[in-house]
Amino acid sequence: MSSQARVQALFQEPACDKNQAKDATARKKGCSKPLTPGAAAGGCAFDGAKIVLQPVTDVAHLIHGPLACEGNSWDNRGAASSGPGLWRISFTSDLTELDVVMGQGEKKLFKAIREIVEAHAPPAVFVYSTCVTALIGDDLDAVCFRASERFGTPVVPVHAPGFVGSKNLGNKLAGEALLDHVIGSHEPDDVSPMDVNILGEFNLSGEFWMVKPLLQKLGMRVRACIPGDARYLDIAGAHTARANMMVCSTALINLARKMEERWGIPYFEGSFYGVSDTSDALRQLAALLVREGAERSLIDRTEILIAEEEARAWARLECYRERLSAKRVLLNTGGVKSWSVVAALQEIGIEIVGTSTKKSTDEDKARIRALLNDEKHAFDAMAPRDLYAMLIAGKADIMLSGGRTQFIALKAKTPWLDINQERHHPYAGYDGMVELVRQIDLAIHNPIWADVRAPAPWDLPANSKLDAFDGDADYVAYSRKKFAATTADDMGEC
Amino acid sequence: MPQSAEKVLDHAPLFREPDYQDMFARKKAMFECGVPDAKVAEQAEYTKSWDYREKNLARESLVVNPAKACQPLGAVFAAAGFEKTMSFVHGSQGCVAYYRSHLSRHFKEPCSAVSSSMTEDAAVFGGLNNMVDGLANTYALYTPKMIAVSTTCMAEVIGDDLQSFIQTAKDKGSVPKEFDVPFAHTPAFVGSHVDGYDVMVKGVLENFWKSAERTPNGKINIVPGFDGFCVGNNRELKRLLDTIGVEYTILSDASDQFDTPSDGGFRMYDGGTKIDDVKAALNAKATVSLQHWNTRKTLEYAETFGQETASFSYPMGVRATDELLMKISALSGKAIPEAIRLERGRLIDAMADSQAHLHGKKYAIYGDPDFVTAMARFVMETGGEPIHCLATNGKKEWEEELRAVLDSSPFGKDAKIWAGKDLWHLRSLLFTEPVDMLIGSSYGKYLERDTGTPLLRLTFPIFDRHHHHRFPLWGYQGGLRVLTAILDKVFDKLDADTIVPGKTDYSFDLTR
Repeated sequence: MSSQARVQALFQEPACDKNQAKDATARKKGCSKPLTPGAAAGGCAFDGAKIVLQPVTDVAHLIHGPLACEGNSWDNRGAASSGPGLWRISFTSDLTELDVVMGQGEKKLFKAIREIVEAHAPPAVFVYSTCVTALIGDDLDAVCFRASERFGTPVVPVHAPGFVGSKNLGNKLAGEALLDHVIGSHEPDDVSPMDVNILGEFNLSGEFWMVKPLLQKLGMRVRACIPGDARYLDIAGAHTARANMMVCSTALINLARKMEERWGIPYFEGSFYGVSDTSDALRQLAALLVREGAERSLIDRTEILIAEEEARAWARLECYRERLSAKRVLLNTGGVKSWSVVAALQEIGIEIVGTSTKKSTDEDKARIRALLNDEKHAFDAMAPRDLYAMLIAGKADIMLSGGRTQFIALKAKTPWLDINQERHHPYAGYDGMVELVRQIDLAIHNPIWADVRAPAPWDLPANSKLDAFDGDADYVAYSRKKFAATTADDMGEC
Repeated sequence: MPQSAEKVLDHAPLFREPDYQDMFARKKAMFECGVPDAKVAEQAEYTKSWDYREKNLARESLVVNPAKACQPLGAVFAAAGFEKTMSFVHGSQGCVAYYRSHLSRHFKEPCSAVSSSMTEDAAVFGGLNNMVDGLANTYALYTPKMIAVSTTCMAEVIGDDLQSFIQTAKDKGSVPKEFDVPFAHTPAFVGSHVDGYDVMVKGVLENFWKSAERTPNGKINIVPGFDGFCVGNNRELKRLLDTIGVEYTILSDASDQFDTPSDGGFRMYDGGTKIDDVKAALNAKATVSLQHWNTRKTLEYAETFGQETASFSYPMGVRATDELLMKISALSGKAIPEAIRLERGRLIDAMADSQAHLHGKKYAIYGDPDFVTAMARFVMETGGEPIHCLATNGKKEWEEELRAVLDSSPFGKDAKIWAGKDLWHLRSLLFTEPVDMLIGSSYGKYLERDTGTPLLRLTFPIFDRHHHHRFPLWGYQGGLRVLTAILDKVFDKLDADTIVPGKTDYSFDLTR
């Protein structure tokens, strides 16, 4: 299949409301806003594919192209592995000018695969195409097919060269590669009616490990968490699970839908962020398993566990009420956010002065609107200049967002907490919610903010006779201008 | 035996060879008559307990591993900050060798100082002859512009009178009558090196000021205090003052003396405060000390001439630098320029960028009183909590001063101040009330080894790391250096904790 055909097929997504609401012409243009040359933008399709697949820990990830594609994306996210370290080794065919001109890419790739297999004997090799190797027409499928045969190791081609589109498209193309080459290629001998898959969970900062014990306590077995801390064979046998939970649907909705179509595995979209969302996810997993033949008692056991865990979580959150009550939080993110986090923060007295709903479903949006006093506090996406204006006006005590907007907060003298992929603390599950609140507490109460907000002492009115700096009005205006010039609003990526 | 002429092993790997290990074990079993290993381990474990801590803190007479040095070391350092000045320590020569090696090992630079080489006969009959001969020889051999005399305990115990000795030596022609020989009595059994610094600087001022007439002008004198980071700090200080456009004199500036270039020439003397500038400094509007506990007598002396005085506690971090600059600005009437405002903003920006990694970190800090106060203050600015603040040479007054500083921030509420305690006390404190980081000098490395607390070397003496003193700790730029050093330790620790492949490396992350 050509890249174009593959991409066009992805633009038909029956499981996506947004996609279905579009007309045929709009659908052809894809989900992301068309890229604007000259305006700042997020990552490319290659980046997206790499993000989705790299957390598979025992696989060798080989990037076929010049050095930079791998060099820039090497180990760029804090996914965690409980075992193998192969996924973190950076493999690339490092094409040079001569390779490109002489068309030696395929040969070099084949040899590279051989060297990996000889040195590491991985259960599989994932080969990623890049702009250069796609443009010069290297036949990735043929090389991977031949290498699989020759070396007796699955070699999976991942067709997501950067130019085909956005990072999000790359996420989905990665899902396609798993569907085409991996899932269903292995039959595990220990299939049980309690097997589940978690899709679109990246195990950032090891946060899935905060949730996994809950599932195990209920007797559920995670056949595959895709991709966080996954093993190749687990993914290859993922088609035998009885239920799928879709965590980040924007990234891998096609995976969930097609697994349902091909293997009849029902799925639901859920989240482990926030107390009630975590409970809800457990409930839905239990319900799906029971529907597919698990014992009915699972539902009762789930309710008991939820009641215990919720009580414990609220008790632990209670001690932050005094410190955080009436603190104003601005949530600006595509990743860790849901009405459930909003609800949990509100429960301990935090005021939500705004939340983005960029990647929320319509249902989520309705819930968020119901929770917020003022409808205007929910916004689709906020341009950096608006964020800056809001923060510099002191309308929030802290912003929770992804790393890309952190400097807007810092330059606007506002505390900031990373709640996206580069964060260092796990926020999933009940314990994760407590950790999130603890981190908010630490960030808000750091003494540096007083220094950040105050002018240099010699700029204080009382010391004005020493004032060398004629007011800071111009300076602020200048800063505004700087931010206003940036037009990218594609800031907090999942 | 594993040692052979083909491949001679260094002692470190050699003694790890099985032959040697066996031999050590046999020697221990057969001849050392030691206590059993289990007993040793039990006792070692006991030293980590609260019980042992109580006993340790109850020590009255014995001091173990003191974090201070003696007065003449401070005097030699102070003298090194004046133009072509040779330190002459009246007393025994062994002491002087210590000061020289101490300063040399820290600065990685030669350090020249001489002694009057007193021996037993001098102890019995008095050291006058040694002074007379010594000054003559020093003058002839090293052609200094000034000889700064201090004393070791030996001279102090027998009660040699420097003033009359020096006068007698001049009368006898050891040095010309008009040659400058300032002096200070610096017994090691009183105070510590910070006091020696104080009296030596005061001695130099007295030498030039005592019979002079003051015609006040607008200049400012600055006394930096004993500072192992003088190379970086004084240069940074001068940059800041020049940027503001202040007219100033640094009284005792050893930054060039302890940082001479390798360009083929040996400089016994380099840089330092010019003698003429010391004389003119009498006319200054004010004398400002950057380390209060290093300069009490000096400031008192300056006040007697009608100069304004002000003192600070090691200007490190945001507030401490603010205060110094505001004072300088007020004294000089010069505004603080935009360039410095930007530097300040950059430091604050950096602190905000990294706050999440520093918030709530616990610290033990030891060193000279001014350093400990400054460090505790800076740590609190980053959201850290000073838990143990220890100065062997700190007194009750310092304790009160630091308590006020700690009380000014919620991050200081758990802090304990340990004035007059030593590093063996600190060992107990670290075991019983552990912290995330220890900040002090090279001597802390044994505490780091015993207690596993990462050590950050930020104060004199630093013998086992090179060149730290070349970069400033003072001012906003210095604050960046301190901030980075603390963060490096935090991240190194984080990496070390997650570094074992397949075991702990699940969060051995590229991006922190």
